[in-house]
Amino acid sequence: MHEDMLPLLNAYLDGELHGNRLQELELHLSTCETCRNDLKELRLVSGWLQAAPSPQFMPAGRFASNLVLALPRRRMGEHSTQPGVLAWWLLPAGILAAWFFVQTVFTLTDALTAVQMTGLLGQAARWLNGGQETIWFAAVTSLFGSQVAASQPELSLMNTLNVLGVHLLDGFLWQASIVLLYWSWLSIWWLRRRPHPLLIENVVNG
Amino acid sequence: MAIPLIVEDENGLIEQARRGDRNAFGELVSRYYPGVVRIVYRLCGDTGLAEDMAQEAFLRAWLALPAFRPQSSLRNWLYRIAVNATLDVLRRRKDEPLEDQADRMYPDQTTGPETSLIEKERVALLRQAVHSLPEAARSVLVLREYGSLSYQEIASVLDIPVGTVMSRLNYARNRLRELLKDDLLQLENEYA
Repeated sequence: MHEDMLPLLNAYLDGELHGNRLQELELHLSTCETCRNDLKELRLVSGWLQAAPSPQFMPAGRFASNLVLALPRRRMGEHSTQPGVLAWWLLPAGILAAWFFVQTVFTLTDALTAVQMTGLLGQAARWLNGGQETIWFAAVTSLFGSQVAASQPELSLMNTLNVLGVHLLDGFLWQASIVLLYWSWLSIWWLRRRPHPLLIENVVNG
Repeated sequence: MAIPLIVEDENGLIEQARRGDRNAFGELVSRYYPGVVRIVYRLCGDTGLAEDMAQEAFLRAWLALPAFRPQSSLRNWLYRIAVNATLDVLRRRKDEPLEDQADRMYPDQTTGPETSLIEKERVALLRQAVHSLPEAARSVLVLREYGSLSYQEIASVLDIPVGTVMSRLNYARNRLRELLKDDLLQLENEYA
């Protein structure tokens, strides 16, 4: 029980305990002499550590002056002029442009198809009908004749739903790919922003 | 070379230093050197090495400054570099003969002639007890006791979870409590 309390006692000592846990610990301390003694000893250790004398170091001003003279030449601005960096920053714009292009193509195709289905375009956009029949529907019409297939409204409805499903899936896959690309770019950008120690090592050793 | 004493906004100094302004960086060094060298000294126990490591840390910081995120804490970032640099050196030194390490790690640098013999012994005992701790626990202890960093800040500096900070600090203080039990009792009686 008391061993379990030690991490909490340390957190209490450091002012890192809050809310209910703080109240629970204070309540426990009011009734438990062992924990009170543990806390007292931890406080002594901490106080002793902080009271330990420190040696005289070089004055900060002199240290800074010496260091400034010893600073190595930094390869300034190399990252801002590389063509790879420019391409990296243009990448999200390219992804957004691709998304815009795909959206426009799908919207226009849908609009034209709708107009074609109303018959307003006549024979002018007959090619749009090519996408309105699935393979199985085309096979049924060729085997049993268009009149047989057309006389079954269920078959026509299934064909239309099938075509719509494929169309929606196409659109979804395109958009998902673009979103995935954008998120990948965003993740890489975020990771590269962190000043990772390895990066520091590379800079120093490089 | 004198560093101009200009009290400037820290973010402005960081931005200037990122662009290559050495004097701005010198001003930042003046501000953070005392904290950095104190942390490093408590980690390694050697004044000369502490100053060398502080210099190494600031040189690394200068080179890596363009990668520094201005919205994060410069102090914590410097501590992180300094702790990593110091631990690298201490790990390399583990291969050296123990006698050489002892001569360098535990010189009596912190007490003057007026200090009592008991006090000197106590300081030496404390220093040796701290250095007997594993590096991981010692780093957390030093950042807490001498850097006054919160658990969250220590976690950020050492890149470990807060729970690990708590368990390492708990281990370190309890180990010291065991090692120094007799002296603690004596100290307690003195203050009673």
